[in-house]
Amino acid sequence: MLIVGWIWGLLFAPQDAVQGNSYRIIFLHVPAVIYAELIYFFMALCALMHLVWRVKLAAYLIKSAAPIGAMITFIGLFSGSVWGIPTWGTWWQWDARITSTLILFIMYLGILTLHGSFSNLEKSDRLMSILVVIGVVNIPIIKKSVDWWSTLHQPASISVSGGSSIDPSMLYPLLISIIGLGFTLISLGILSSRSYILGREKNKKWVSEYV
Amino acid sequence: MFDLAFNDLNEILAMDGHGVYVWSVYSIAISIIVASFLIAKNRIRGVKRKIKIKNAPS
Repeated sequence: MLIVGWIWGLLFAPQDAVQGNSYRIIFLHVPAVIYAELIYFFMALCALMHLVWRVKLAAYLIKSAAPIGAMITFIGLFSGSVWGIPTWGTWWQWDARITSTLILFIMYLGILTLHGSFSNLEKSDRLMSILVVIGVVNIPIIKKSVDWWSTLHQPASISVSGGSSIDPSMLYPLLISIIGLGFTLISLGILSSRSYILGREKNKKWVSEYV
Repeated sequence: MFDLAFNDLNEILAMDGHGVYVWSVYSIAISIIVASFLIAKNRIRGVKRKIKIKNAPS
């Protein structure tokens, strides 16, 4: 599905009247930044479950999702930077949207580093969950940064509630790319959590029986 | 809606001078995503191997 969305967007969608063909980066950039935020939000829900109800699996899911979140945030930042060269004439600008997304990337790396810093895994699970919950404050800041501050970054072109300012010939491949990347990341998340859970629970009887 | 936006392969690659930005971004992103899948699959294989060795009768 992701391949269909990208081929449609790269080869069949019409050229943009203002940005020319450089706008085709949108079919990668927009899905990537959407999931960069969604993955963090998912991690925050898991962190709450871990802190409030002591659900061990929730901590495992955070640890499995964090590298995927870091990866997709990096792709979002990188694609945005490259898109900025022909569009804005600069690859980087310290504006609110870009800076808050960079902070999100640093948060992902911080979470991974923090979890790897302790030999007591239960303690690192708890501290990681606390850090994830603290960091969730950045998500509405990223989302609303283009409305709250005057930024170089354009406001959202599509929204869940309020329709879209994009022509359907560009919108449909974009929606397919968003759904396709979602399935891709879910598959990756399942693989990642499977290896992490097996590694963490390796001394348990069920793992020996499963393997 | 389903007409090819370009006339030939050269136009697709060049994208009016924007090809270098568009194709480099997609190539790097695809490489990172594929590498992530390969790393995750290798990890599962590695963990399973370790558990099997640990549980093997001596």
